[in-house]
Amino acid sequence: MGHQFVLIISATIFCIGTAGFLIRKNPLIMLMSVELMLNSVNFLLVGYSSFLKTLDGQIFALIIMTVAAAEVVVGLAIILTIFRTRHELNVDHINVLKG
Amino acid sequence: MFEITYEVVVFVLGITAVLAAFGVILCASPIYCALYLIGNMICLALLFLLFNAEFIAAVQIIVYAGAVMILFLFIIALLGGKKEISEPSVQRSSAFTFVILLFCELLLAAAVKPTHPITGDMAPDVVNAIGSAKAVGIELFSRHLVPFELASILLLIATIGIICLAKFSYLPARRRLK
Amino acid sequence: MFFYAWFILILPLLGFIGLSLLGDKIPKKQAGYAGCLTVGLSFLVTLTVLGQLLGLAPEKRLGHVETLYQWVSSGSFKLDLAILIDPLSVFMFLIVTGVGFLIHVYSLEYMKDDPEYSRFFAYLNLFIFSMLLLVAAADFFFLIVGWAFVGLASYLLIGFWKEKTSAVLAARKAFVMNVIGDVGMVIAALMIFQNFNSLSYMDVFSAAPDQFRTNDDTMLMITLLLLVGAFAKSAQIPLHTWLPDAMEGPTPVSALIHAATMVTAGVYLVARCHVLYELAPYTMYFIAGIGAITAIFAGTMGMVQYDIKRVIAYSTMSQLGYMFLAVGIGVFSFGMFHLMTHAFFKALLFLSAGSVIHGMNGEQDIRKMGGLRFAMPLTHITFLVGAVCLAGVPLTSGFFSKEAIIMSSWHAEMGNFVFWGMAVLAAGMTGFYIFRVYFYTFIGKSRSPETHPHESPFIMAAPLLILAFLSLVMGFSAHWVDQFLGPVFGATAHHYEDATLETIAVLAGLGGILTAGVVYMTSQDKLEFAKQALAPVYDLLFNKYYIDEIYDFLIVKPVRAIGAFFEQKVEKEGVDFVVDEVGLQVREISRGISFWQSGNVRTYALSMLVGMVTILFFVVFL
Repeated sequence: MGHQFVLIISATIFCIGTAGFLIRKNPLIMLMSVELMLNSVNFLLVGYSSFLKTLDGQIFALIIMTVAAAEVVVGLAIILTIFRTRHELNVDHINVLKG
Repeated sequence: MFEITYEVVVFVLGITAVLAAFGVILCASPIYCALYLIGNMICLALLFLLFNAEFIAAVQIIVYAGAVMILFLFIIALLGGKKEISEPSVQRSSAFTFVILLFCELLLAAAVKPTHPITGDMAPDVVNAIGSAKAVGIELFSRHLVPFELASILLLIATIGIICLAKFSYLPARRRLK
Repeated sequence: MFFYAWFILILPLLGFIGLSLLGDKIPKKQAGYAGCLTVGLSFLVTLTVLGQLLGLAPEKRLGHVETLYQWVSSGSFKLDLAILIDPLSVFMFLIVTGVGFLIHVYSLEYMKDDPEYSRFFAYLNLFIFSMLLLVAAADFFFLIVGWAFVGLASYLLIGFWKEKTSAVLAARKAFVMNVIGDVGMVIAALMIFQNFNSLSYMDVFSAAPDQFRTNDDTMLMITLLLLVGAFAKSAQIPLHTWLPDAMEGPTPVSALIHAATMVTAGVYLVARCHVLYELAPYTMYFIAGIGAITAIFAGTMGMVQYDIKRVIAYSTMSQLGYMFLAVGIGVFSFGMFHLMTHAFFKALLFLSAGSVIHGMNGEQDIRKMGGLRFAMPLTHITFLVGAVCLAGVPLTSGFFSKEAIIMSSWHAEMGNFVFWGMAVLAAGMTGFYIFRVYFYTFIGKSRSPETHPHESPFIMAAPLLILAFLSLVMGFSAHWVDQFLGPVFGATAHHYEDATLETIAVLAGLGGILTAGVVYMTSQDKLEFAKQALAPVYDLLFNKYYIDEIYDFLIVKPVRAIGAFFEQKVEKEGVDFVVDEVGLQVREISRGISFWQSGNVRTYALSMLVGMVTILFFVVFL
């Protein structure tokens, strides 16, 4: 179980996250898919940090977690606001910016 | 005879994480999705442990599986986890096509071995000798101080943003009259 | 030391701005008083400056540059917002503000019935300000700024009665002619900067004699280009056609243009740049030649015109020819002296003519006047004073200044008998045409009995009397003017005494007057006969040598044809077509692809994914 395995698992989870973001209509689940993608990258970073005998990957993963936490919190607040004004949660119906 | 080795544990946890990820995107009800996501994160945290990153594993559990997911669950409880009906559409099929393409490309990219791996001097035994949290702390507060401070500013901004979003109520957005 | 001299400029500018902004809000009367007040105060400041200047030793009067602040500092290019105080500029200040003030006062009454009274005074103030800026500038840049401002102000004033088509056309013509001059000036200034690396008078004039030989090509070029501006502003051949047309403006404007401001700018420019011109004697000869030709040329045209203001306008051209002759043969202070006396008696003539027109209710044709000496005794006297000054009758101011020029045109270093002959001939013509107007207007019986001319009120008469007094006595200040301006031009001009020549010149002027009288006395039948005999010449003169028609044929028609071509072909079928098509096509394409912007987040995400896949494709396979 070496580099290849880490890469493949990470790529798989990333693609699943991408697919989730694209096919789901509930913004909450879309946000979860984004978390999946971020986690897959974190996994890759920590794995390689171990393989390459350096802590830089772990630091990077830590920063990504911070960003992810901030992003989730703001995202959820936005979803809450949308729900308060529109009383529904379907991204396909949110198209105010239509050209 | 089947033997539980390091490799087997990593393999099983990896597969479990992938399956949990599938669960996230395929479940109809948001509450299950959230639970699957927690499972995925716990798997990853365990993998972090196996990769000698105890500190990150702990953070993963506390921040992600703990705080962030609790927030998710709160919101789901608040908004009501309605089931989602999915029907095939052009958007859906094209999304799958491109995701598979992306996956293939990533696999191809993964097939290329690193030519000059840059290795550091933080071998697992060194890290274990001083402790994972301490090692990460030394790194974070010496060489990576600026990103650390920037992350703190980011959190501050996020806090302010949420307060603004929560405090002021917004009128419903009206469609432009044609 | 002369920092307060800035107020000379600032006051009229304040008047202009104030009247422009508040003109409609304050009563008419106050607006007029405000306009006069600013120029009057400006005149008082000028007198103070003059007093202080006279207190200094003659050689210390030069080169007082008063800098307000540094405007541009870009590498080696420095430009100060500065004015230059020296005898020449103060001399011009005196004429501009002094005569300008009298004209302002005169306008108070003359324009009384005009609905746009305050606009008129605002423009007058602008005119005075721009002329002062032109005169006060300490470098070529602000000279050009003032130069252009004068052009603008003259445009606004000539076209003041904007409902009159001819006035608007005349204003346009004046503006175009002036801009031709401006172009020459700008090119000259650029050449000066290229050669001297500075635009300041002080730097340029001190560097020029060391840097250039006499008649250096560059110097000839610079002086000739400056001359284009000077000729356009001062209405010398061939850029003179705007001046007679400028008579379409109100009479005080004509007086202002002809006497105090504007047309004298060209003479001032040559005098100011005398250092450069002395380095280019060929240009000097050219100036003198053009001046002499213009003097005769304008005189001949003036002899046959019937419009009272046009005759005086041609006389201005003719007198400007004298001034250019003077500066061309190197007697700058005589040129400036003639500029001064001319300012007095020409303002006097114009204001008297304005008084006549005012009294005749707007009639300008001298054939319909006559016998006005009984109806308007005061105007009659002032006009007569102006006429004798203009004709150069001995002991009037015109006599002193003109005699000095005529004498110099023979005796000065650069003078010769050709210039002298032309000057004397022009003097004879001057006497003829101005007295022709005088006889037609004031002598004999009224030709249009139905009109009832009346004398102008006191407020119009007072400036006339002051100007008449100045016209009569200022001739005796010739020596003082020469002394005062001497330091600027390096040396005082030598006054030549030659009894024979002087007699001939005086006789020429008197002869002109006498001829006018004789022609006027002879009966109409004989005159008609003479007219028939001289018909071709008469027509040529009456139509101003067909110069307007020639310009029309040579320049206006082709330009108009080219313009029509461009409008039809290039504009409508070329540029417009391309522009329209670009717009139409963009709109069509946008309509086609606007569905792309669906507002749907997932579609956008899909697009991002497609992009990502494409980029990765290149990363992986290439």
